[in-house]
Amino acid sequence: MAAITIKDMSVSYNKGKSYVLDKLNLTVKDGEFCVFLGPSGCGKSTAMHCVAGLLEPVDGMIHFGDELMTEMENGKKKTFVPPQERNIAMVFQEYALYPNMTVRKNMSFALETKKTPKEEINKRVNAMAQMLSIDHLLDRRPAELSGGQRQRVALGRALVRDPQVFLLDEPLGNLDAKLREQVRYELKKIQTQLGITTIYVTHDQTEAMTMADHIVLMKDGHIMQEGTPNDLYDHPSCEFVAGFLGTPQINLFTAKVVEDGGKLALDAGSFTLPVPEDMVECLIPYAGKQVHLGIRPSDLSVTESGSIAGQVESIEPLGDAYLVYVRVGEQVVVVKHAEEQAPTEKDLQLVPNPAKLHLFDPETEKRINI
Amino acid sequence: MQNHVGIERSREAQKQQTIKIRPKWHMTVLHIVYYLIMVVFLVFYMLPFWGTVMTSFKTNSEVMTSTPITPPTEWTLEGYSDAMEELGVPLMTSLVVTIFGAAGSVFLGSICAYSLSKWKFKLNNVFFVALVAATYLPFQAILIPLLQTINTLDLYDNVWGLVLVHSVFGMPMCTVMMRGYYADVPDALVKQAMIDGNGMWAIYRKIVLPNTMIATITTFVFQCTSIWNEMLFALVLGGYDSKPATIALNELAGTMAAEFNVQMAGSLILALPVLILYIFMGKYLISGQMSGAVTAS
Repeated sequence: MAAITIKDMSVSYNKGKSYVLDKLNLTVKDGEFCVFLGPSGCGKSTAMHCVAGLLEPVDGMIHFGDELMTEMENGKKKTFVPPQERNIAMVFQEYALYPNMTVRKNMSFALETKKTPKEEINKRVNAMAQMLSIDHLLDRRPAELSGGQRQRVALGRALVRDPQVFLLDEPLGNLDAKLREQVRYELKKIQTQLGITTIYVTHDQTEAMTMADHIVLMKDGHIMQEGTPNDLYDHPSCEFVAGFLGTPQINLFTAKVVEDGGKLALDAGSFTLPVPEDMVECLIPYAGKQVHLGIRPSDLSVTESGSIAGQVESIEPLGDAYLVYVRVGEQVVVVKHAEEQAPTEKDLQLVPNPAKLHLFDPETEKRINI
Repeated sequence: MQNHVGIERSREAQKQQTIKIRPKWHMTVLHIVYYLIMVVFLVFYMLPFWGTVMTSFKTNSEVMTSTPITPPTEWTLEGYSDAMEELGVPLMTSLVVTIFGAAGSVFLGSICAYSLSKWKFKLNNVFFVALVAATYLPFQAILIPLLQTINTLDLYDNVWGLVLVHSVFGMPMCTVMMRGYYADVPDALVKQAMIDGNGMWAIYRKIVLPNTMIATITTFVFQCTSIWNEMLFALVLGGYDSKPATIALNELAGTMAAEFNVQMAGSLILALPVLILYIFMGKYLISGQMSGAVTAS
């Protein structure tokens, strides 16, 4: 087990004309479950491949604990430990099971390469197979397994090695929704049990929120924000983070900061909200200017006398709640209505939770209320 | 599995939906015409072969008095035993040259194809284009310098000289063929094997080769037939002691012009190994059958 430290890592596929990753700095603590999250093309898989040693960055350093794994300077290798010597395990989205080998052989392959004694290999493979309930599949070949079974074999193959770092590249991408949930739970359980430092790459924010100890949200080769799932959800550092996390997406309004009877208020055109006490100070420089206001669907509630008036456009039942689409002025606002009954009136009023307003600078898109 | 069940179901549905249509009379006539044309072509193609087989079982005197396509009145293996007297040693030479030459070129080609398809290095594409160009190289163009080189190596009129030449000149074709197959092996498999602690050579032996056995067999069979049938290198580099069967057969025709039964028997003996190879390995040569066997997922 080891912490992973990435320092000033840059990756370029065209000799520095453009960068896929630009001066990435990151620390994944020992035993932590870290998720690289972001839209496709943001460089999350690239970063993981660099950690694995499957890809050479142009610049930067990667340490596992105190051990230097990669050190590059202007495209020149100073130190580079090849992947086979890094003691890592990786699960690919396509599983990459060896088709010519049985499940048992697939799982023992890496241990055999390391010349582990046979008894030890058998013991470990059997224990891991039992843990993942694939012990009845040990003599089958990958072609005879279902998607979920293959996925578990791939996980087992990686875990049986007792690696110092565990890398997962969208491992649940090929599973159906129900199986994904189940494997997600199992995976997190095993990781906690074994305490292996893990990097998990995904574009699915639900996966990230449910599994991560530490989320690294990336866009265009940069880290937009990192922290615990709750940090990112409750205090998004910019509009992108606010929009990326949470389903349904956060409602965004453009509002003008106005003075209303000696107090600051947000005027969004179709409604006006008083600025809560704790946000007044950071909004003073914006007086008379526009800001972006974000309110999550779950932070809006339907009341009889709210400050936002609108008309119901449609209602989607979720079972335990309703998604109510409300037209407010020219915008459609989503409200997560967690009541037993759906709102019956067409015209209704909404009130936001004043403690959960997110304010962003329209130019820099950075968060205003800290 | 689910997919499989799905296909079965849709097939059944299709069967149920298919309405039996009685063919109209003019369609039947058209079919008869098609079959007639095909029969004519079949006869056209098979007649020489038929003649060869019939003649090979005749005595020399009957060859003179009968037409080639009539069956022999008296079946004899005289032609075959006479042909074997001349072809025995050259056939062994051909066998050695074919097996070792094909094995050599497949081995070299396989390694080249592996490094070209799975390991990206500088000038990767340049090498590949050069290899493709080499497959178009007319052998006549390099025959004289090749002869000189083989002479210098003291390998003229030597079986191993021919093996060397076939290994080297078969390599580009093998590389081009196998590169296509190796490209089908997912890169993730190679990366996974790397992470599992294997180097470039170990990945080739343990992962790439076992998963592309059919590709190797296909290329090997292809190489075997072309080396077995080859005449130009055999003629120029083979000399007298290491004369392959193609040359010996040619001499058979030249020296015993009248003994058609012996020549025909010789032709059939020479064609037999290739025929057997195609009968047993034919299905592997249909490259379409490869795809399902190799993919990992």
